[in-house]
Amino acid sequence: MDKPSQHITSMIDPTLLARVVKGDQQAFSQLYDHSSTLLFTLAVRILGNREEAAELLQDVYLEVWRKVSRYDVGRGTPVAWLVTLTKSRAIDRLRARASRSYQTANSVEVGTVAEVADSGPSPFETQADQELRIAVGAAVAGLPQAQQQAIELAYYEGLSHAEIASRLNQPLGTVKTRIKLGMSKLRDSLQRWGNHGELQ
Amino acid sequence: MTHEALEESLPLYAAGALDRVERQALEAHLLTGCASCHSALKDYQSIAALLPLALSPTKPPRSLKSTIMAERNPAPIPAQTPPNEPARQSLEPGEWMNHLFPPVAPARSSSLPWALGFAALLIVVAGGYFAWNVSIQRSVATSNIQQLEASLQEKSTKLAAVQREVGDQAKTLVELRNELQQRTNEVAETKEQLAQRKVELEDIRAQLSRQGSAHVAGTPQDELAALLRIPNVKAVSLTGSDMAKQATGFLLYDSRTQKAWLYSVNLPECPAGTTYQLWAIRDKPISIGTFQMDTGETTHLLVKKVLSFTDAKTFAVSLEPSGGRPQPTGPIYLLSRS
Repeated sequence: MDKPSQHITSMIDPTLLARVVKGDQQAFSQLYDHSSTLLFTLAVRILGNREEAAELLQDVYLEVWRKVSRYDVGRGTPVAWLVTLTKSRAIDRLRARASRSYQTANSVEVGTVAEVADSGPSPFETQADQELRIAVGAAVAGLPQAQQQAIELAYYEGLSHAEIASRLNQPLGTVKTRIKLGMSKLRDSLQRWGNHGELQ
Repeated sequence: MTHEALEESLPLYAAGALDRVERQALEAHLLTGCASCHSALKDYQSIAALLPLALSPTKPPRSLKSTIMAERNPAPIPAQTPPNEPARQSLEPGEWMNHLFPPVAPARSSSLPWALGFAALLIVVAGGYFAWNVSIQRSVATSNIQQLEASLQEKSTKLAAVQREVGDQAKTLVELRNELQQRTNEVAETKEQLAQRKVELEDIRAQLSRQGSAHVAGTPQDELAALLRIPNVKAVSLTGSDMAKQATGFLLYDSRTQKAWLYSVNLPECPAGTTYQLWAIRDKPISIGTFQMDTGETTHLLVKKVLSFTDAKTFAVSLEPSGGRPQPTGPIYLLSRS
């Protein structure tokens, strides 16, 4: 396994992506090391299935390798870009699966992958990563249950506000307000981690 | 959608909670370069991107990295797609457009020749750009259609309101016309009644003149002459004072009609600003009325309605300032003998 570098997940240097674009295999390897745990966690949460999450990650990284020029440094951090890309692709899969009426258990299928993955932080996680993880966890846990639930249904299950309202049997306006309030609170409590996804 | 509504939808967009139409409308708005929305969205998306950090980390299978490293193409094509190309930056979709990228099929065919891979990559890139372009155009068109629909709706509402107003005014006009017609009819009717009354009046006058006692009715003089023939009419004669020695007069009072007649002869002409005033005197003088003697006038008949002066002992005519006085103040010109 690669030796941990100075990079932390939340602070992937945009120049790393520039190097990837130039075909730097080492840079690509570093990018994977510093982002794959976060992206895999996200994919598993959305898809509820490790095998499918692994397939998805494979697609995403190959897409990054080919389309990395799409990244625009003016519009967010590399991590934010990777998270958004992974989330979009995972939600696409989720919807495609729903349209095929593909029945899956909602639980995570542990053990279906030949190599069972570990739980726990990435070996590349730094002190700053841990602090950020704790801050985000606290901010999310600090939300009222209803707001947290509405945001998670949108974020991890790709449901629109109307679909959430229908799922929760709540008025549409209530659902919209919950999401808006929840996002505002998260923004306020995580403001010091700022626009760059890093401690300022 | 108003700007306020678009702005409010930013946190929903970052959370992924907007439906397709709303998302397209917001993306079309973002393409206009709205700085405040860009800034707010960047904040929300930075926060949204942190959310997975709240999950318990799950490490990917160890074999995944080697699989990916083995399956990627020999190299990207950096020369054709350099990062942050200034000329294209503003049109490049940012992270908020990523979900618009067409899903790419997993590339598992490392056995394909490089040329085929290159061609496939070109197709994918071209296809992606085309799809992105079509999506943008569709977003803008959808937004335009929505605006046009809203505008049309507004215009229709205004038109309906104007039509209602015109309808109301037409109704009011008809009502006014009816009312005018009614008034015209009433005027015609009144004119007809007036003509009828005139005819009746003329008939009555003719009847009066035909009556036996034709001399009684008509002018006051005629009436006076008739009175003289009625026995219970009180008559008082007046003689001229030193002020008018040639003057005489007599006064009649009909208790039946409560009318008094003063017939005066040879009273001198009233100087300017003066008038004659007739008084009935019992304990104190009571004014009966005033009259003028104009130039060349020798006789005058004063007719007044008087409730009662049967108790009056004396009658007098004095010269008073115009309009008369409550009590006699000027010289006496006529005085009763009794």
